[in-house]
Amino acid sequence: MIAVGITVALKEILASFGLSGGLLSVVTYAILASATFGLLSVLALFLVWWERKIAGHMQQRFGPMRNGWHGWYQTLVDGLKLLQKEDVRVATRDKVVFFWAPVMCFIAAFAAYIVIPFGDGLIVADLNIGILYIMAITTFTVISLLMAGWGSNNKYALLGGMRSAAQVVSYEVPMVASILVVVLYAGSLSTVDIVNSQAGNFLNWNIFRVPYGPLAFLTYLVAAIAEANRTPFDLAEAEQELVAGFNIEYSGMKFAMFFLAEFINLFTVSAIAVILFFGGWHGFEFIPSFVWFFLKTFAVVFLLIMIRWTYPRMRVDQLMEFAWKFLVPLTFLNIIIAAIFKHFGWYWEL
Amino acid sequence: MSNLRTEEFDINMGPHHPSTHGVCRLLLTMDGEKVVKVVPYIGYLHRAIEKICENRTYAMCIPILDRFEYVTAMSCNYVFSLAAERLSGIEVPERAEYLRVIMLELNRIASHLIFFGTTAMDIGALTPFLYALREREYIMDLFEMTCGQRLTYNYIRVGGVSKDIPNEFTPKCRETVATISDKVEEYKRLLNGNPIWKMRTIGVGKLDADLALAYGVSGPILRASGVDYDLRRDDPYSIYDRFDYNIPIYQNGDVYDRYMIRLDEIQESCKIVAQALDQIEDGPIRAKVSPNFKPAAGETYTRIENSRGEMGVYLVSDGTKKPFRVKARGGSYPHLQLLPEIATNCMIADLVAIFASFDVILPEVDR
Amino acid sequence: MNNEELKAYIESHYGSQLTYNEAGKYDLLFEVDASNLVTVCEKLKNDSELLFDYFCNLSGADTTERFEAIYNLASTKKKIRLDIKVILPHENPVVNSVQTIWPAANWYEREMWELYGIHINNHDNLTRFLLHDEWDEGFPMRKDWDAPDFIRFPDL
Repeated sequence: MIAVGITVALKEILASFGLSGGLLSVVTYAILASATFGLLSVLALFLVWWERKIAGHMQQRFGPMRNGWHGWYQTLVDGLKLLQKEDVRVATRDKVVFFWAPVMCFIAAFAAYIVIPFGDGLIVADLNIGILYIMAITTFTVISLLMAGWGSNNKYALLGGMRSAAQVVSYEVPMVASILVVVLYAGSLSTVDIVNSQAGNFLNWNIFRVPYGPLAFLTYLVAAIAEANRTPFDLAEAEQELVAGFNIEYSGMKFAMFFLAEFINLFTVSAIAVILFFGGWHGFEFIPSFVWFFLKTFAVVFLLIMIRWTYPRMRVDQLMEFAWKFLVPLTFLNIIIAAIFKHFGWYWEL
Repeated sequence: MSNLRTEEFDINMGPHHPSTHGVCRLLLTMDGEKVVKVVPYIGYLHRAIEKICENRTYAMCIPILDRFEYVTAMSCNYVFSLAAERLSGIEVPERAEYLRVIMLELNRIASHLIFFGTTAMDIGALTPFLYALREREYIMDLFEMTCGQRLTYNYIRVGGVSKDIPNEFTPKCRETVATISDKVEEYKRLLNGNPIWKMRTIGVGKLDADLALAYGVSGPILRASGVDYDLRRDDPYSIYDRFDYNIPIYQNGDVYDRYMIRLDEIQESCKIVAQALDQIEDGPIRAKVSPNFKPAAGETYTRIENSRGEMGVYLVSDGTKKPFRVKARGGSYPHLQLLPEIATNCMIADLVAIFASFDVILPEVDR
Repeated sequence: MNNEELKAYIESHYGSQLTYNEAGKYDLLFEVDASNLVTVCEKLKNDSELLFDYFCNLSGADTTERFEAIYNLASTKKKIRLDIKVILPHENPVVNSVQTIWPAANWYEREMWELYGIHINNHDNLTRFLLHDEWDEGFPMRKDWDAPDFIRFPDL
């Protein structure tokens, strides 16, 4: 385990150039933020391409094939195309809200990465309220979707925005409740502490700790799909019902921002799943920790993509019933079970 | 909560909307997610096919009528040819009858595959659409092999068919129907066990037999509501009495039954095609009919069982080489008319599911 | 019940209102007076021997001297078919609506009104739907209709 995190190391390097005090912090975090931003942008581009490839192969076709080997830079040229496109704005829009909605969505998607450890020590800031912070910041997405729906001055968009608000607020409860199970065990909200509590043998991962692990993971996964607005819970942009939902009036780069944010969110929920249930960066020592982290996260992403291209969409009332009548009681029950097991020490530590 | 002010709002679903399958406009009055009122507006695809046909000879009408219902263009060809043959009393050679049955049933399969794909897509599952198109592609290849066209065939003519099938058609067709029959089982496995699919379809858009009959609903939708009425058997035409096949009946009349009945019909059609391929013998494929032939004066309403219900042509001849009146009746027309009756007071997602389960195709409605 | 039996039955029971017309080549075609249409249709639907519960189609036709409205009926229980023709004058053609008997007739009647100008009495929604709302170029399916060189489309 690296004793000092990347932040500390970077600070030391910068301090050797003579920076100090407030300026040192600002420069350090600016560098880290740009690095994270760059990494995530590439990641989002990759995820878009990857999803299209998987979807293609699931559907008896190849997906993008033209640009490069198996179309590897397809999303890049798609992005360039979107960048050049005219930014069509409806005359009747709410100017301020319409403009800020995609920006906010984008920021909310990226801000969560402050506390996500990509590897041993590879974390921007190890906040002691890490998980709580992620929950709080990702909820901003819903506000931005609602803003997009309202600001577009379009009935389909409004319906989409309202749907996503109702959906995300409902699924926040089972999501937090399933996370609480892990927090209960780890005794900390910090992401690094949670990962370290699963160190050692892979049987220490929360998913394998009887009996609350698998159940908490499943309920988390369901809620996470709903949070990421993906099929079977993609009601906010249900193409066949609401045409494109909240982003119906967005074009060009504003649309691209929503689109990229969606894929960043996909990666976020998968990364959180790995941190909480799959032991984060831990694995066999001879492979670097960040490789483990990415491998595990991509495995979860793969699962989510498979789910998306397999299931039909739920109806909005069924979605709500499922959240409040099934998931919420189940997760609460799970917390109680986990608490009992924790109290009597009925879990292993290998 | 009760003193919160809410109001209904109107929303235009269409003319360009992913799930209206063409250019149909539904004016919805919504109360939040709930549809309070549906008013269908049609006519965006009105091409005056009936008027055009009045100015064409009989042979020239057939390619025009291809466009009447382009998903099952064989049926359009057939129903018009049958009407003209009934007016003039032309006897169609045996082999031509078999070829017609093979083509009609293959086209029914292709149409039901489109239904399967688009319905699944409208309910949110995108993948089955591509599976269905993959199987449909084999049928399109068979059609292309036979008449050179993939969508609008102009194959079935008055007095017979335009071309004989090539030699490689028969083995390939046998293989295709066997494959599709298997694939339908796969589709059933793919969706029927899926709880979300069941939640979305079972009990949604219930249509009881009385309402269906009152609105002139026909075809698979009528049979899904428990009315045993299939024109292939009950108003016999062609040689359907020589084949052994079942007519699937379902009782509930919801989206799920309408979906299941079509999958079953695909398998039954596969059986018919396989039997027809066994029974077909060599012979002439066309009766001698002049391109400018003049049927005797008279009129007939001819109807056949199409994949979307009853397809009929009311044909009046005044003894000249042009038809005096052609009225094309498509199955979707009464179905769309019925939509407000059963889609009122459901969720917008259910409306989409119901619309998809009716398998409405707009060129057939607007003509 | 085959066509001969059906013809005999209708002629014995409805002979006063329905007259046989041999123009129908394959199907039975009967003519009915416009004033009797609704009552006859009602009887045909409720007659326990016929049970014409299924409304296939309604088409208008213009023979340049007169208008015709042809109702194609079927029975799902008795598996029989029947056509009924109503002959209307070329000036002021009016026919009564049968949508109280078969709700399916609604759109067919609307279409006939729109394309042939045959007015429908007691119709609940006689508005244009195949042509656009402001259409005033006459009734296009009539034989004497001449396509205008230029069709004005409504300002949107």
